[in-house]
Amino acid sequence: MSATGPTAHVVCRIDELSPGARKIVEIAGRSIGVFQLEDGRYYALRNRCPHRGAPLCEGRRTGLYTAAEPYRLAFERDGEILRCPWHGWEFDLTTGRTVCMPESVRVKSYRVGVEPPPETSVEHFKVSARGGNVVVWTGESLSVRDCG
Amino acid sequence: MVFSWGGGECRRRLNSRRFVGCPINVPSSTFSPPVQTSNRLAAPSLSAGAIPRRIRVVDADVHHNVRAKEDLFPYLARVHRERLIEYGLPRNSGIHQANGGWRGARADTFDAGEDVDPRSNFGMFQQKLMDGCGIDLAILQVELTPSLVALADVDYSAGLIRAVNDWSLEHWVAKDPRYRLSLTVPMHDPVEAVKEIERLGDHPAVVSVYVVCGSTRLYGKREYDRVYAACVERGLSVSLHFSNEGSGMNPPPTAAGFPTYYAETYLIRPQFYQAHLSSFLFEGTFEKFPALTVVFCESGFGWVPSFRWRADMAWKELRMQTPWVKRLPSEYIEQHIRFTTQPFEETEPPGAVDQIVTWMNGARTLLYSSDFPHWDFDPPDVVPQRLAPEVRRQILAENALASYPKLARLGGILP
Repeated sequence: MSATGPTAHVVCRIDELSPGARKIVEIAGRSIGVFQLEDGRYYALRNRCPHRGAPLCEGRRTGLYTAAEPYRLAFERDGEILRCPWHGWEFDLTTGRTVCMPESVRVKSYRVGVEPPPETSVEHFKVSARGGNVVVWTGESLSVRDCG
Repeated sequence: MVFSWGGGECRRRLNSRRFVGCPINVPSSTFSPPVQTSNRLAAPSLSAGAIPRRIRVVDADVHHNVRAKEDLFPYLARVHRERLIEYGLPRNSGIHQANGGWRGARADTFDAGEDVDPRSNFGMFQQKLMDGCGIDLAILQVELTPSLVALADVDYSAGLIRAVNDWSLEHWVAKDPRYRLSLTVPMHDPVEAVKEIERLGDHPAVVSVYVVCGSTRLYGKREYDRVYAACVERGLSVSLHFSNEGSGMNPPPTAAGFPTYYAETYLIRPQFYQAHLSSFLFEGTFEKFPALTVVFCESGFGWVPSFRWRADMAWKELRMQTPWVKRLPSEYIEQHIRFTTQPFEETEPPGAVDQIVTWMNGARTLLYSSDFPHWDFDPPDVVPQRLAPEVRRQILAENALASYPKLARLGGILP
């Protein structure tokens, strides 16, 4: 937590970031990717892969490949995994954690939301441009450590 | 699981009575079939007043052999014996490459004469290896195996393999309590391989299954799973040794063709192990068989740290294709793969090898081996004196005791 507390940065009006889209913006000297998932959730990650410094947020959004046992492939959490464009490291878009080493390697994740808040529900601002702005907060400690 | 010594001739020859008198010191009742498979090898019985001595040196890779094809006759089905009489032992087909030393062996081991294969000289082994080098336990991997396991006729191959296993138990293992057998199996035919493990895998002196690197399919492929299941069920490790690349049904020893000289063959070996290791890791063999240990014999080990790093890198980048691989490959390698020391790496400067040992956690993953009586033999003092005493002890004996579950039943005490 910085001494001055979190700072809100306006990214865009909500109608400028549609469901399934992303926007890469410069905030406080850092490149940050802001994503809106198809179901309306927003996430923001630092646009720098902790592996080799690639523009992580330009990577493909995909799902999580899992297997309860060898050869039994499954595909879950469609759209919640961000794959680095350079070497393919997978990141959990919702936390910034890598899939391969979630405890030790992560990318900085930022709180993101809409301000002023929409008057009604999530569904409301999905379909309305009147809800306000997409906002990213910096300068606050989230549960995810910045390894980037 | 019912223990069986096989049928027909083999049953008569390998009856329980013979093992009562064998020097493995197991209560005779243990060997009256059928019996349970567990606790097959009891702790060694010590005569009153004897002071138990710790096992100090285990040699994980020793090569004995038959003197002539006639040695196998008593153990063969009639039809296979006729074929052996008529056509002789199969040759390791291929490019007729020279080996090293004298006919591939140490020139000072031809005690019985120029024309007697030193690998077949039981007395010389006792004198020059077991007593001469202070080997407490040696794991035998018969020289003949590569000639037998790549035959297109897998039934004949399996028949010859049964014979050489029976012969090894009767003429080597039963005659010296320090010997253990790595059981040859016809890996080209996993069904037959399992049958051989079921037939002899519960023998108290059989501690591993002997497989060579030359193969038509990499060993992580799922058709081999039944072999590993049979091994794990009986507390057997898998011992992987180069040989047979490019012979019999097998593809060439490199994807780019055949080497010309033996020095080349010598140098390219790590790739065979790397190929099988990659297969084990990414087919999920160790997820399927968490208790399986695979011993890489004579693979060299200088490449291991580099491979571990590369494997981890590949997994981080490609995990999504094999999500059943749950951990870093290096963790599976450290838990499941062991490496024999011979030929011990000769680094420049000499002390550089210590760093390699550290990088691969050799204090846990290296097993001493001599490769006796081959020309590139290593005596036990090849393990550097400058290593910490406990690390030397682990490499010389304790890692082997931990890597072959049936050896562990000795409790570290000499049989």
